[in-house]
Formats: sequence, C-alpha cells, structure tokens
Amino acid sequence: MNQLHFPILSLITFLPLAGAILIAFINEKNENFIRYFTFGILVIDFIISLPLFFAFDPSTYHMQFVERMPWIKSLGFQYYVGVDGISLFLVLLTTFLTPIAQLSTWKAVNKKVKLFNIVILFMQTGMLGVFISLDMFLFYVFWEVQLIPMYLMIGIWGGPNRVFATMKFFLYTFAGSVLMMVAIMALYFLNHHYTGVYTSDMVKLMSTPLPAHIQLWLFLAFFVAFAIKVPMWPFHTWLPWAHVEAPTAGSVLLAGVLLKMGTYGFLRFNLPMFPDMTHAFAVLVIVLAIIGIFYGAFVAMVQPDIKKLVAYSSVSHLGYSMLGMFALTQVGMEGSILQMLNHGISTGALFLAVGIVYERRHTRLISEYGGLASLVPVFATFFMIFTLSSIAVPGTNGFVGEFMILLGAFLSHPVYGIIVAFGGLFSAVYMLTMYKRVVFLKVTNPKNLELEDMSKREWAYMVPLVLFVFWIGLYPNTFLSKMRVSVEHLLKQTNRTVQVSMTSKQIQPVKTVVVKKG
Amino acid sequence: MLYSMKDLVAIVPELIVTAFAFAILLIDLWLPKRMKGFNGILALVGVLVAVGVTISMYNLNAVAFHGMVVMDRASNFANIVILLVTFVVIIMGFDFLNRENINIGEYYEIMLFSVVAMMVLASSYNLITIFIAIETLSIGMYILTGFLKNKNESVEGAMKYFILGSFASSFLVLGIGLLYGLFGSADLNVIKSALSGADSLHKWVTILSFLLIFVGFGFKIAAFPFHSWTPDVYAAAPTPVSAFMSIAPKVAGFLVLMRFLVVGMAPIQVEWSKVLWIIAALTMTFGNTVALWQKDLKRLLGYSSIAHAGYMLVGITAANALGYGAVMFYLFGYLFMNLGAFAVAEFISTKEDRGTEIENLRGMGYRYPLIGLAMLMFMFCLAGVPPTVGFIGKYYLFSAAVKSHLYWLAVIGVINSAISAYFYLNIVVTMYMKGEPENPPAVLNSLPLKIVVLVGALGVAYIGVFPGSLLDVALKSITF
Repeated sequence: MNQLHFPILSLITFLPLAGAILIAFINEKNENFIRYFTFGILVIDFIISLPLFFAFDPSTYHMQFVERMPWIKSLGFQYYVGVDGISLFLVLLTTFLTPIAQLSTWKAVNKKVKLFNIVILFMQTGMLGVFISLDMFLFYVFWEVQLIPMYLMIGIWGGPNRVFATMKFFLYTFAGSVLMMVAIMALYFLNHHYTGVYTSDMVKLMSTPLPAHIQLWLFLAFFVAFAIKVPMWPFHTWLPWAHVEAPTAGSVLLAGVLLKMGTYGFLRFNLPMFPDMTHAFAVLVIVLAIIGIFYGAFVAMVQPDIKKLVAYSSVSHLGYSMLGMFALTQVGMEGSILQMLNHGISTGALFLAVGIVYERRHTRLISEYGGLASLVPVFATFFMIFTLSSIAVPGTNGFVGEFMILLGAFLSHPVYGIIVAFGGLFSAVYMLTMYKRVVFLKVTNPKNLELEDMSKREWAYMVPLVLFVFWIGLYPNTFLSKMRVSVEHLLKQTNRTVQVSMTSKQIQPVKTVVVKKG
Repeated sequence: MLYSMKDLVAIVPELIVTAFAFAILLIDLWLPKRMKGFNGILALVGVLVAVGVTISMYNLNAVAFHGMVVMDRASNFANIVILLVTFVVIIMGFDFLNRENINIGEYYEIMLFSVVAMMVLASSYNLITIFIAIETLSIGMYILTGFLKNKNESVEGAMKYFILGSFASSFLVLGIGLLYGLFGSADLNVIKSALSGADSLHKWVTILSFLLIFVGFGFKIAAFPFHSWTPDVYAAAPTPVSAFMSIAPKVAGFLVLMRFLVVGMAPIQVEWSKVLWIIAALTMTFGNTVALWQKDLKRLLGYSSIAHAGYMLVGITAANALGYGAVMFYLFGYLFMNLGAFAVAEFISTKEDRGTEIENLRGMGYRYPLIGLAMLMFMFCLAGVPPTVGFIGKYYLFSAAVKSHLYWLAVIGVINSAISAYFYLNIVVTMYMKGEPENPPAVLNSLPLKIVVLVGALGVAYIGVFPGSLLDVALKSITF
C-alpha cells in the first residue's frame, strides 16, 4: 500500500546519497558552501519525510508507503521498502537528528570538511535504509553499509584513541552481524523447506512456522547481532570507547540512531519470527536488561569524563527499552519504542551539550568545570532540561517512556518491575551529581571565565530538541496513537503458539535438517 | 584417429591467442628497442579478439579431439575471465616494464602461451589434457616469476616456485596414473561410469588417487597445506605478474577442479565433500590468521588470496548448482578487487626500493583521493562488506553451504570474514587515520595504473549493487 502514489521512502533515503555524490565535485576549499549545501540537503530531506507522518494511516498494521521492485531475480531478493507504526518514528527520528548533528559540526570539524560531509550524507542513506527495508537481504546490506561511514567518522575525526575505538566498534559489530548473515541464509532456505517458497520478504517470513529447536539457533544468531548493537550488557564494551572518541556529531548519531537499529532488529526479527524462543528467553533478556540498567548507572556514577558518563547512561537507558520490549505487554512495548525516541532526543542533546563546552574548553572532565550557571546561563538552562529529561522527571519525555515500561514490566513480571523502579533513582544520582559539579558550585577554574554563551547556531539546533522533550512529555498520544495498531499486531504474532503447527505434517523432515551439520 | 575441422572450432579462442603469441615472437625480432611497446599493443589486440570470439561462441557446445577438450559455457566463462585478467595485467605492466628496463617481447609471449595453457585447462575433459595444460602454464609462470633476472629475490622466488611446483606435479601425475590403471581411461566421463559400478577396493584406490590429484590442484589454487609458495612468490615476482598469478591460473584451476570432482568423481561425492570441508576450513582460517601479521602489502595479498581460495572451496564443498555458480561469480568479482589492490601495490612501489610496505600507504587517502577511495573500496570488498561484489560473492558461496546444511562451514566462513576485516581495515586506517608522513614516498604516477584502479573500483561497486544479471550468467554457465 502506498497512499502517496509516489516513491517517498526511496527519495528520502537516496537524496542524501545523491547529495554526497554532488559534493564530491565541489572544490574542498569552499568549506562553508559545503556546510550549507549539506545542511540544506538534510533539511530538505527532513521536510520531504514529514508527509510520512501526516499521511500515515494509524488504523492498520500493514506496511505503508510500500515500494517493491525485483532486485536479484534468480534468488527472489527484492527492493522492498515500507514503514509501519514501529519504523515510522525511527525514520523520522533519523531525518530529524541528522541535520541537527550536522549543524553542530560547523565549527567543531575543521579538517577534511568535504569528506566529513560526504560521510555524514552517506550515513544518512545507510541509516534510513535499515529502517525501511522489508527484504531481509536488503536489510542486511544496509545494516552493514552504515558501518562504513561511522567507522570513518570515528577513525578520521575522533579523539586520540580513535583508531583503537573505531576498530573495536567495527570488528565487534561486524563479527556480530556475520552470524546474522548465516541466520538470514538459513531462514531463507528453511522457509522454502516449510512453505515451498523462496523468499526474503520479511513480512512473509514473520508467519513462517518454525519448530522450536530451529528457532533456538536462529534466535541466538539474531540476538547476538542485535544485542551488540543495542548494546546490552555484557556486549556493551565497544560503546564507551566509540562514544568518547567520536566527534560530537558521531556520538549524536551513534546514540540517537545507530543503537536503535539493535532494538529495532529485535522488534522486526526476533519477536515476530521466533515467538516460542522469545517467550523462552524473555526472562533471561529481562535479567540482562536489568543488569544493564544498574550496571550502566553505577559505572556512570564514577566517570570523571562527562561524555563517558553519558555513554554509560545509554547502556542504562537502552536497558529500559529492552525491558519494556521483552515484558511482552502492549503498554511496555509502546513504552519501549517511545524510549528509543526519547533516548535519541535527550541523549543526543546531552552529547550536543557536551560538544558545546568541549568546543570552547577542549576538555570534558567534570572537574575542569563548575559554576557555569552564572557564566553561561542559557547553556545551563538547556543542559538542565536535557538532564531532567534523561532522569525521566515527570513532564519530560523520559518520564512517559520509563513509566510505560515499568507499567508493562509490572503487568507481566511484577518482581522485576519493583527492582527496576529503583533504577530511576540511580540515574538521578549520577546525572544530578554531574550537573551540580559542572553548573553549580563556585567558579574554581579561571579558564571558565572566558566562556561564551550559546551562539545562534547552537540555539537553532537545541530548540527543536527541547520542543520534543516537552511534546512527548506532555502529550505523547501524538506518537503513541500511530504505533498502537502495529504494536498490537506484533504482540499477536509474538503470542501465536507454534505448538499447533508442530504437529502438522509439514514439520516432519525437520530432523534431517539439523542432524546433518557437516 | 583423424581430426576434422569441427575439432578445431572448439579451440578457436586458444588458436587466436597462440597465433598472436607467435606473431609477437616474430615481429619482436625486427622491432627497434624503443618500439618494444608495440608488442604490448599487439598482445592487447590479440586478447581482445579472443574475448570477442569467445563471447560470440558463448552458447556453443562442442566436444573435440575425442573428448580431450570441450567447449561449453563454463569453459567460455572461465576463458573470458582469464582473458580479461590478462588484458588488465598487460596494461598494468606497461610502465613497469619500462621502469625495470625489461620491456622485451618475451614477457608478452610467455604470458600469452601460459594463457593458452590456462584456457586449455579450463576446457579439458581428460586427465592427460589436464596434466599437459597444468605443466605448460606452470612453466610460463616460473619464468615470469623470475623475470627480474637482476634481482635476487625474484630469481629465488622463481626457484622456490619451480621446485615446489614440480613436487606437486609429481603427485598429480601419480594420481592420474593410478586412475588410468584402475579404469583404463583418462576420460572423465568414462571414469565416472566405471566408478559408479566399482567395488570397494576400486573406490578406495580412487579416493587415494583423488587425494594425490588434489595435491596438484591444491598447489595451483593455493589451498592449505599446499599454499606455502604463495606469499613468497607473490612478494618476489614483478607486481603485474603477482596480480596475474593471483587470479588467472586460479580461474582455470577452480573450473577444472569442479569438472574433475563433479563429473569424474561424482560417485564418491560424499567422500570428497568431506575432504574439501576440512581443507576449505583450514585454508580460510590459515590465510586470514597469518595475514594478520603481515607488514608488506604484496605478502598480505598473498595470504589473502589463500583465504579467498578457501572461500571458493566452500562453494565446491556445498556440491550444489548454487555453489558452483557462486564460485564462477566469485572468480569474476575477484578479478576486479584483486587486480585493483595489486595495482595500488604497484602504484606505491618506487624504483629505488621496491617497497610495498603497508606503511607507505600513510596519508594516501588525502594525497590521492581517488586512488585512496578505490583502495578503500577494494579493502571493504575483500573483507566482504556490502555494497561490493565481495559481499555478494561471499553471500552466495556461504548460502550454497547453508543450502547443503553445512551450517558449521558457513559459520567458520563468516567468522573468517570478521577476522579478515581486521587486516583489510588496517590498510584503510593507514591510508586515512594515521596522519601524513613527513616525507611522503614517491609513487608511480602512471596513467595505465590509474585506469586499472578506477575500472576495478567501478566494477566492484557496480556488480556489488546490481549483481543480478552476472549471477544469472554464472549460474547458467555450469552445465556439467
């Protein structure tokens, strides 16, 4: 179904790529022109993506704005894209966040400006591609493609340990996703085995009846790939490195969008395709998520570096998202998706705030600051809004997400719900302590006296973020109403019992499939 | 035993290349020293004509010389790849030969003669033809390896290659002898039908001779444990020759290995599949693991080519049509990525020290943006990251394995892919992330090389995004 009768998804995905190719022909000395040009393309891309929101039909779980074209005919792979209530907001989050991230680099990135802007546009294409793909081969291609620009971004414009950080980022993610590649191949052939059709159409694969022992291996392969990306404890070790070394824009996009690919992957593959294993592993995932929530919070408490603190808070926040998802309740799942958006907005904004002071002082150590409230009041105000949003104070977006997740967790696993409720406490501890030491107290470091307050450009990219903090915080229904039907459908798929189909004759040849391992 | 004109039709492409080789041999005598470049042009023309003729005969099916040689889509596909490699390598060599002062006709003659041998190898359907073709192409390769006759390392590499190569050939000939003794024929079809009704003793001796013959083939395609010559010879040989060796003989080698196994050894498929399983896993793992420690680009590419031979063996191990087609597809894609990478290796090697150390690539991404970008693509391609042909090729190879339920082999393969990402990306790190060197090493600013690099990059990207039609051709090329 494509209500716009216009390939809007392809347009927003490939417009940045076309822009990147154009920039390649611009002389690299025209740095300012390249910045304006890139920003212009990203803003246009955002504007073009708005009809997705307004034309979206919230009453159906079917894919919308669908485009379908044969790609590799002999194997049945298609160029098949579309969005539903789950991916819609991730697409919008991406088109919203990238121009903001790009705007933040106008002063911060001074070397290889041309290459930087090409990389950021290329990344936009890769990220959007992941969220709109409905063919798993296409999904995998985009999934890996977006590793390249992030690898370059951290490696070329990163901090002193950038090479180690970027290698760790790439290898960790790549190693996780190659196992997913085998799982995708296996799913392709197993689907043929059970339904007689060769297809890589994700929507069709969601209803393939797979016996439990096959689901187990596939679930694990996808789980590892996505858990590394999220990242869930104990797969998170690449994240603090990548965040600390990445340039501000890199951190914003990494936290804001790339990590969401992991949680999105769970919603697209693990839950609907392997429902039995989702139920079997739910408690384990919840436990890992809770460990992540507390671990992230505890480690964040002792960080001397603001950016590292925010990075660890990501581990904690995405733990909430995973918890809400695997609580397998309607409210929890909606909260989980909302939490993805919230995290993109507030953590992205926190990284931007860190970037603002870093640009002026070239340090991120908490101890170097203090008393900023009297020196740069505007900055202090913005910083406070995002800090409170990150703590999930009522009225901000964070509160709605975490509240819904907790509610969802209480409904299905009350004990875990009670435990997690304490997690919110710790996030207040580390965030407020940091905020106090940076913004309040006395000015101890004379270097801070020369700090300038936020420029117009910085205002320009902070204000939209504040808007969404309060919009989601005060009236989340704008967003929740669009995802409700899709989430209901996803839960129905996840709760379908495959046990019935286990007895059908189709399943008989299964044993031969598994015994012959090599 | 009379041959008719019909038999000759099946070897027209080979005849054309032979004719041009002889023409160069003769014309070279009258060419003055400064006109030696004409040899290269003539060789290019010959290769192009042969490609054209092969394409025009693509769908022809012919069996010639009493089944010694066939012409089918598989042989034509392989011949086209071999000829394209030759074409590119000749272009790569233009500036190289002048620089090293070895621009003599023999270079092209020997190369073309070994190309003929490869083409015959790809078309052979009889163990005798296979043996003769392998020997002929090897002789050409030994000479080309030692072509820098004033450089000790080049001569040493040729010597090492020659001794190990003769050793491998003796295994090959022993295996062929055993098979001939068992079945009274060297024809693959006859062996197949005799083998399917054979008793267990015959079967076991066949397995033994399969192993012996595999030593010979394994040496050509650089499979573990017959790989040890590869990095040394690649590093020692002139770079265009290394590039040539890393692809062309392998194309013929892989095709003839498939013919031998799929046609001749069909009745013992279960057994050879098991052997290949182990060899494929070891080859991939060995190549990638050892490549982690390489400091020299050419040696690294040597180990990497071992690893890629392992990936392709996965496709054969799978023993299904998808796997065989995937091998052909991969060979075609490998042409672009590997030739491109070798061209960059040649680009950075200067006359004073033939330094192809990876360290020489420092800052190259900025000094030569296009070459750097192309090299970045080759590295991601070799590592198997989309959207490149390397990814698509690996996807087909491993999914053929998954189709045959060889899940663990596919898992070993993809883990290897992840390991290999480390050393390929290390090159990207050197080019882009380590800063500029204080005095950048001089590079060869040669136009032919740049063209090769850019064509390689375009091929890598285009087939990576639109692999459909080439994949169809590759899948349909397997008719046996």
